[in-house]
Amino acid sequence: MLKKFFALIIVACLLALTACGTNTTSSGSGKAVDGGTLKIGLSSNIASLDPIGYTSTYESNVMRSIFDTLVKYNNDNSKIVPSLAKSWTISKDNKSYTFNLRTNVYFQKGKFQKGRKMTASDVKYSLERSLNQSAMHRIRDIKKITVINNHQVKIDLDTPYAAFLPMLTDMGNAIVPKEEVKGWGDKFGMHPVGTGAFTFKKWVADSYVLVDRNSKYWGPKPHLDAVKFAIIGDPNTMSNSLASGDIDVATNLQGPSILTIKKNKNLNFVSDQGLQVSYLSFNFKSGPTKKLKVRQAIKLAMDKEDLLKGSFKYGGAKVADLPLPRASWGYDQKLADQNKTTVDVKKAKKLLKEAGYPNGFNTNVYVVPARVPIATIFQSQMKKIGINVSIKTVEWGTFSDTVSKAKAPMYIMSWSWYPDPDFFLYQMFDSKQIGSLGNGGGYQNKQLDQLLTKATADTTDQAKRKAIYGQALEIINKDIPHVNLFDQDVVYGTSKKVHGFTISPDSSITIASDQTNAWLSK
Amino acid sequence: MLKFIIKRLINLIPTLFIVAAIVFIITRMIPGDPASVLLGPQASASDVHRLREQLGLNDSVFVQFIKYLNDLIHFNLGQSFAYKQPVLTLILERFPNTLILTFCAFFIALLVSIPAGVIAATRKGSWMDYLFTVTSLFGISIPVFWLGLMLVLLFSVTLGWLPATGMASSGDGALAFITHLILPSVTLSTIPMANFSRITRASMLEVMNQDYITAAKAKGVSHFFVVMKHGFKNALTPILTVAGMEVSSLLGGAVLTETIFSWPGMGQLIVEAINKRDYIVVQGSVIFLAVLYVLINLAVDILYKVVNPKISYDTKGGK
Repeated sequence: MLKKFFALIIVACLLALTACGTNTTSSGSGKAVDGGTLKIGLSSNIASLDPIGYTSTYESNVMRSIFDTLVKYNNDNSKIVPSLAKSWTISKDNKSYTFNLRTNVYFQKGKFQKGRKMTASDVKYSLERSLNQSAMHRIRDIKKITVINNHQVKIDLDTPYAAFLPMLTDMGNAIVPKEEVKGWGDKFGMHPVGTGAFTFKKWVADSYVLVDRNSKYWGPKPHLDAVKFAIIGDPNTMSNSLASGDIDVATNLQGPSILTIKKNKNLNFVSDQGLQVSYLSFNFKSGPTKKLKVRQAIKLAMDKEDLLKGSFKYGGAKVADLPLPRASWGYDQKLADQNKTTVDVKKAKKLLKEAGYPNGFNTNVYVVPARVPIATIFQSQMKKIGINVSIKTVEWGTFSDTVSKAKAPMYIMSWSWYPDPDFFLYQMFDSKQIGSLGNGGGYQNKQLDQLLTKATADTTDQAKRKAIYGQALEIINKDIPHVNLFDQDVVYGTSKKVHGFTISPDSSITIASDQTNAWLSK
Repeated sequence: MLKFIIKRLINLIPTLFIVAAIVFIITRMIPGDPASVLLGPQASASDVHRLREQLGLNDSVFVQFIKYLNDLIHFNLGQSFAYKQPVLTLILERFPNTLILTFCAFFIALLVSIPAGVIAATRKGSWMDYLFTVTSLFGISIPVFWLGLMLVLLFSVTLGWLPATGMASSGDGALAFITHLILPSVTLSTIPMANFSRITRASMLEVMNQDYITAAKAKGVSHFFVVMKHGFKNALTPILTVAGMEVSSLLGGAVLTETIFSWPGMGQLIVEAINKRDYIVVQGSVIFLAVLYVLINLAVDILYKVVNPKISYDTKGGK
């Protein structure tokens, strides 16, 4: 009988879903009020909250509430603004950075210290710890860190590096108290203590992390009493949890779950410019794709609009024509327009013939399971010019291994990092990155290498650097190591009672700081 | 009996060695490097190499296996690459959650399926028999993830009666604990529920055709007494076998339910460990579950004896 009952209610549920919306509470915006716990759904698990041990955006988004860095990006990632350092100066040779620290910063209370004042020694300790102990090398090329006085610290670099400040915004370079790190040892990642707007309270494995308001926070008092970061791996469960009121913010929305949120009048759907670019990459070490004419032919036969419609039918991305995302300051619309192509199968076939493949060839494209729809459309587009593409669907571990060893003839993936072009162009196209996932195709161009080094060594002036990156982009567009596919948005949903909450283009979440202060209406 | 238990426990050692060897070989055969998965797409080749060295992955596979066996002999399941914590700690944190979910699902399954199976058998050919047979077929056929999502859509999103995800923790109260448990337990219970009702029906049908049942009926014993005392008790042995197997598979196989409901159990731990190539966690979890599987089967064998004292494990005694 119970089965019959379930069968009936499932049918009733399906009918109800097609007929009407849901009844989540909502209220308008107004004057910010204090109190409440904001519940945010994170789509992947958390393994460590230690700055030198974390590996994912999900972890850094929790850490952003607990820790602070010397400098940070503003909400739209357009410029670097003060954080624990209220100001800084850069020497003329671009090799020395002197930071003037805030004087009113206290660590949260922990087991091994009672909430003492943060000083320049803590900055030196934390950055040296990151430099020497982090597996990810989130800071590099530092020659020396000198404590000038309690509130001034100087960092000397081995070589001038204009992308040094963006590097300091990484949660891997957050400032930590030595006593807590030493006291907890390897377990500091499970008992994090920093200077952020919220204090770590509880971590239930695979379930959630809870942080409470830090009453001694140096910035404006956070409106929220607490924030709960709930781990919800399944995208459908994520949108259902938002609709049911289990969570207030659903992040990393994908596929049909976007539609669930969009359709629900009681929820807000947000799709903002992100910092993630997707692309098809070619192997330069072996196979037909070594030849420029083959790459040109493939590019000409690709209909990106079709690929976009097929793989992002619920929205959340735009066609890309540059390897830099639109949200990066290095993005140049003129160069993007120049790089646009219209589908020309006839010309593509001619190019293939000239390259020595009049009848096309057989090849493979490697993708992770989520990108099978893109690969399938790409496969059918290639058939038109005689290239028979087999889709190799592998999960992430195998994908990264195959690609970084240049064993994939072609692969589709995406890239995201800081807004500074160095973290896209150097990582994906400099020959020093061959062997890493970024330049898995093994692309090499000496002139480009020189320009990419020049862009970070010669000047810290953004306009001058943009001009150098412009030249670099022209070379990349000509060589076609990638066919740029999409510029992905940051897509999330919130309940209507959430106010003042944004996710930055780099997918980072800051709940409360001197820049932002989220709150919940009653 | 004691001899039997000791013998079975000794048998556990070669079983575990074989399990350890197989799982070790399989994890090493999967393409993909734990260091590059851990460090993510932005890591440089030198960072990956350095981490491989730290994790001992640059040693030969044979050396890694010997080190692993040495750890096992010392009851050490190793340290997770990703969590940097002992594997046993990770398992013990999550295992109680899986245990709660499993036993709740198991209890619901038994509560519904045993009476359904008994009724179907005693009224063979009736509309109730057909109803239970068809619904149990549905129970086995409905994909767990679909049923889970439908239940969430109805009870959480549309009606707002029950939470959609997660598990209540200490401090949330008993009500929160129960409400969080209902949907995942019901979802997980469908397959064992269907299996139990089918096996109960089949087993009861066989027993109810025995001569002693006819004799009991002829003696004028009440129908209820005939079914429960003479019928059900004697039909219990195959039900117990299936129950033992179901509990074992539920403990290791609640992966889909745990994923849909974000239930922090063993299934999630193992799936994530496989995705992250956290070999040590995969190996440790499989060995832990293998021990559990053997112990549950041992417990079932002991229960056979309790249910049916005629069963003998004394090999010297002949039959």
